[in-house]
Amino acid sequence: MVNAGKHLMTGLGVLLLSAILAVSCYAMDYPDEVEIDSLANLYEAVVFDHAMHVDATENCSECHHHTTGSGVANDYCAKCHDGKEEMDSVACQDCHSADPVSPENLHNPKPGYSYHNDQPNLKAAYHLNCVGCHQEVDGPTGCEDCHAKTEAGEKFYHSGEFAPKESAHSSGH
Amino acid sequence: MSKITRRKFLAASAAGGTAIMMAPTKKAFAAGSFEGFPDGMGVLVDLTRCVGCRTCEAACNKEQQLPEPAKPFDDYSVFDEIHHGQKRRTTDKAYTIVNRYELKDTEEPLYRKIQCNHCNEPACLTSCFVNAYKKTPEGAVIYDSHVCVGCRNCMIACPFHIPAYTYHSVLNPVIKKCIFCYDTRLKEGKPPACVESCPQQVMTFGKRKDLMKIAHERIKKNPGKYVDHVYGEKEVGGTGWFYISNAPFEEAGFDVHLPKKPIIDNVKDFLAIVPVVLTVWPALFTGFHLLATKGKSHGHGDDHSHDEQGGH
Amino acid sequence: MKKLETFGIKPHDASLKNDGQKWSIMEKLLLGLTLDQYIGQALRNKLNWLFAIIFAIGIPVILYRFVFSLGAVTHGSYDYPWGLFLGFGLFCMVPLSASGFMLGTTVEIFGRHDFEPIERLALLNGLLGYFFAVVYLLVDLGQPWRLSYPMVYSFGPAAVLFLVGWHVATYLSVQVMEVSTAFFEWIGFQRGYDFIRKGTIGLTVSGVILSTLHQGALGALFLYAPGKVHPLWYSAPFQWILFFISSIPAGLCMVISVSTIVIYTMKWRCDKRFIDNLDWITIALAKGAAMGLSTYIIMKFIAVAHDNEWAYFFTGWGAWWWFEMLGFVILPLAILSYGIRHKLVGLCRIGAFLTVFGILLNRLNTALIAFNWQLYQEIPHYLEIIIAITIFAIYIATYRFILARLPILYKFRSQAEE
Ligand code: SF4
Ligand code: SF4
Ligand code: SF4
Repeated sequence: MVNAGKHLMTGLGVLLLSAILAVSCYAMDYPDEVEIDSLANLYEAVVFDHAMHVDATENCSECHHHTTGSGVANDYCAKCHDGKEEMDSVACQDCHSADPVSPENLHNPKPGYSYHNDQPNLKAAYHLNCVGCHQEVDGPTGCEDCHAKTEAGEKFYHSGEFAPKESAHSSGH
Repeated sequence: MSKITRRKFLAASAAGGTAIMMAPTKKAFAAGSFEGFPDGMGVLVDLTRCVGCRTCEAACNKEQQLPEPAKPFDDYSVFDEIHHGQKRRTTDKAYTIVNRYELKDTEEPLYRKIQCNHCNEPACLTSCFVNAYKKTPEGAVIYDSHVCVGCRNCMIACPFHIPAYTYHSVLNPVIKKCIFCYDTRLKEGKPPACVESCPQQVMTFGKRKDLMKIAHERIKKNPGKYVDHVYGEKEVGGTGWFYISNAPFEEAGFDVHLPKKPIIDNVKDFLAIVPVVLTVWPALFTGFHLLATKGKSHGHGDDHSHDEQGGH
Repeated sequence: MKKLETFGIKPHDASLKNDGQKWSIMEKLLLGLTLDQYIGQALRNKLNWLFAIIFAIGIPVILYRFVFSLGAVTHGSYDYPWGLFLGFGLFCMVPLSASGFMLGTTVEIFGRHDFEPIERLALLNGLLGYFFAVVYLLVDLGQPWRLSYPMVYSFGPAAVLFLVGWHVATYLSVQVMEVSTAFFEWIGFQRGYDFIRKGTIGLTVSGVILSTLHQGALGALFLYAPGKVHPLWYSAPFQWILFFISSIPAGLCMVISVSTIVIYTMKWRCDKRFIDNLDWITIALAKGAAMGLSTYIIMKFIAVAHDNEWAYFFTGWGAWWWFEMLGFVILPLAILSYGIRHKLVGLCRIGAFLTVFGILLNRLNTALIAFNWQLYQEIPHYLEIIIAITIFAIYIATYRFILARLPILYKFRSQAEE
C-alpha cells in the first residue's frame, strides 16, 4: 500500500485526453483506448483502456460527473444537475485546468459557475479519480503500475541508475 | 491595530533593556516588529488526498538543490524508519518529509507531509537575537544565514520542530529550513515546487484567507469525510500552511495541545517587566543606599585608609 | 604549601617586602616563593595531577571541535539543539554566579561593611562564573566569531536571548571593573583602584538591574517552548520569577561552598580577618539562602497550582519533580534552618552544597531532562561530556590561580594593620 500513489509528475504540460473522449458515452460512442501522452518528462505515456473501464463501471457519471447525460453520482452535484442532459464538454481537460496551480482552480472558472470552485487541476483530477477508485476496488495503485518512469524520472527520484551509492545510510540524523 | 501596538510595545520594551546602556540605532527597534500580512499566500493541505508517493520530497530536493538523499525518493521503506522512537523529521538535507501514520479506525494509513508552516507570528522569528528571520509580505518565513550566530534558539522555539542545523559544517554552519520556495518561485507569485509536483493536489496554493474559506467549505460539502477542524487556523496564532484531515489530528502526529495564541505571547509578561526594572530599580536601590548609610559616612572604610596610604 | 609553612616560609601578602622593597610581578606570580619552591609545591599537589590528566585529554578534544565542527563532538541533535554546553555551562553557571550582585548590594548599597571579608570572594565568584558561561557559549555557538553580531551588527530586540546577550556582556564588564580593584591593588596601581572605587555605587546598582533581568531572562527563554518543557518545569507567568528567585540561594550557597573548600584547602592564603569572620558570615549567608529557598518553594507550588498541574504529580515525571524538590530544595532548607538556629556552621555548609546541586538539577531538568519529554531522552555524546568537564576544570584552575594571588581572601598587610 506504500506505493499507493507513485504517480504522474511535476512539470507536465497538457494532458491530452484526446478530443475523442468528448464524444458522449451515453451513445456508447466512445474511444476504446486513450493515450495520455503528454508526460514526456518523468513518466512514459499511459494507454488508458477506456473500453475496459466502461465495462467495469456501472455508470459514466462515476467519472464524468453529470456531463454525459447518464445521471449524477455525486450528491453535491445533484443539487443543481439532474444529469439527464448531455453537456458540450465531456473531456476532463475541458473543465480541469492543466495549469497545476492557477487561481482559477480556486475560484469559479467562468461566470455563472459559482459552485464549480475549488476544482482540482487536471493532473490531480485524474489521480484523485483513478486512485480513489482503484483503492476501493483493489485496482493497481503503484505509480509504475500505470506508467513507467523515464530516465528523467529516475534522475528526479534519485532511483534506478541514479540511486544513491550507499543507501544503507539512513536519512534521519 | 491593537495588535500592532502591542508588538511594537514588546519590541520596544525588550529593546529598552539595551537603550539605557548603549542604545543601538533606531532602526534596530523597528526590525523587531513582525506584523502579519493580510494578503499573504498560504497552502491548504488536505491529508485525505495524500498517497505517500514522496514526489514532493523529490521536488523540494531538486528545487532547493539539496544534497543527494540517503535513499531514493521512490523507496518507501523510509516510512518504517524510526529514530529515537520517532518518525522522520525535517533535516538540513530535507526541508520536507512525508510520514505514514496508522489510524485507529481505518485500515488505510494516513500520510502527512511535514515542512515549515510559515506561521503568522513565527516563534523562530521572535526568538532570534540577530533578527535573521523575516516574514515576507508574500507569506514566507525566510532566513538570512549571513547573520546567523548559531545559537539555535529558533530550533528550541519552533513548536513544529522544523528548523535544522548544519552541525557538520566547520566554517559556516547555519540554520536550514523550508522557505516556501521564496527566492525561486513565491517572489514571482509562483507556487512552490512541492505543491506543483504533487499528483494528488494534496496542497492547494493561494491567498491564505481564500484558502481558509475553501477549507471550511470542503469540510461542509463532504459531511462525514473530514474532522471539523482546520489545524493551523488558530494554532500558535495561525499558520500559513494549514491542514484538514479525515482522522483526528493527534493520530496524524500533530501536537494538539499547542496554545492558540502566538508563542511570543508567553514571553510577553516577562518583556513587560523589563522597562519597569530598568526605571524603578536604580531609584529604589540608590534610595536604599542612602537610607542604609544615613548618619554614617558615605565613603568606605577602606577608602580612607587608602587616602592615607597614598603617600607611600 | 603547608609543608613550606612548617619551614617558616610565608607567601607574599603585602605590597612591600619585609625589608621595605617592592615585589616584582614575577615574584608576585610565584607567590613570593623561589621558582624551585613553587614548582615543588605544585608537583606535590594532587589536584594538579588530576588537572593535568583532564587537560591532556580535554584540550585536544576542544581543538577537535573547532577543526571538525560541532557535529563531530555532539550528536548534532535537531530536537535537542541545546546540549550540555548551554544546559550546564550557561543555565547552571549563571545562577551559581549570582553571588556578585548580592554581596555587592549588601555591602555597598545596604552599607553592611561587616560583610566585607567575603565581598571580594563573592564578586570573583560572579565574574568567573559569567566568564566561563561565555566560554561554554563560545564552544557551543555554531559561529562564535559572530558573537558580537547581536551587539553591533544585526539586532533582534524582541528576543529574550537578545536581552540575555546584552546583559551578560554588560554585566561581565561591570564585574571586571568590580574585581579590578583587587587586581589594581595587587599590581600596585593605586590610581586605577581609586577611580573604580569612586564608581562603586553606580556599578553595584547596574549589577542589580542587570542581574534581576537576565537571571529571569534565562528562565523566560524556555517560554518559547511551551509543550516541549514538561509542565512541571514550565510556567508561563512564573518562569522568570522562579529562575530569578532561585538564583539568590544559588549564588549565596555557591559562596558558602567555595569558602568552605577554600578554608579547608587554601587556609594558608586566608588572613585572620577572613578566618575569624567566616563562621558568622556563613550563617548569615545561610539565612539569606534559607529565605530565598522558602520563597522559591512557595512560588514553585503557586506555579503548579496556577496551571492546575496536580495530576502530573502521580506520573513518573511527578516523582522526579518530588525528588528534586524534596532532596535538593526542601531538605537543604531544613538543614540550613536547623544549622542557623543552632549556629552549626558545618550543617549550613552541607545545606549549601545540597542547594547548589539542587540548582544544577533544576536547570538541567528544564534544559535537558524534562525538555522534549514527549519525544525521547537525549544522552550527550561522550566528547561533549569531556569538553564540559575540561572547561569546568579550567574554571577551577583559574579560580585557584587568582585566589592564590590577588587579595581576595586576604588584605594586604600594610592596609590591614592600619
Ligand atoms: S513552523 Fe517553525 S520554523 Fe516555520 S515559521 Fe513557524 S516557528 Fe518558524
Ligand atoms: S515550499 Fe519549497 S522549500 Fe518548502 S518544502 Fe516545498 S519545495 Fe521545499
Ligand atoms: S507528492 Fe502529494 S501525494 Fe505524494 S507524498 Fe507529497 S503530498 Fe502526498
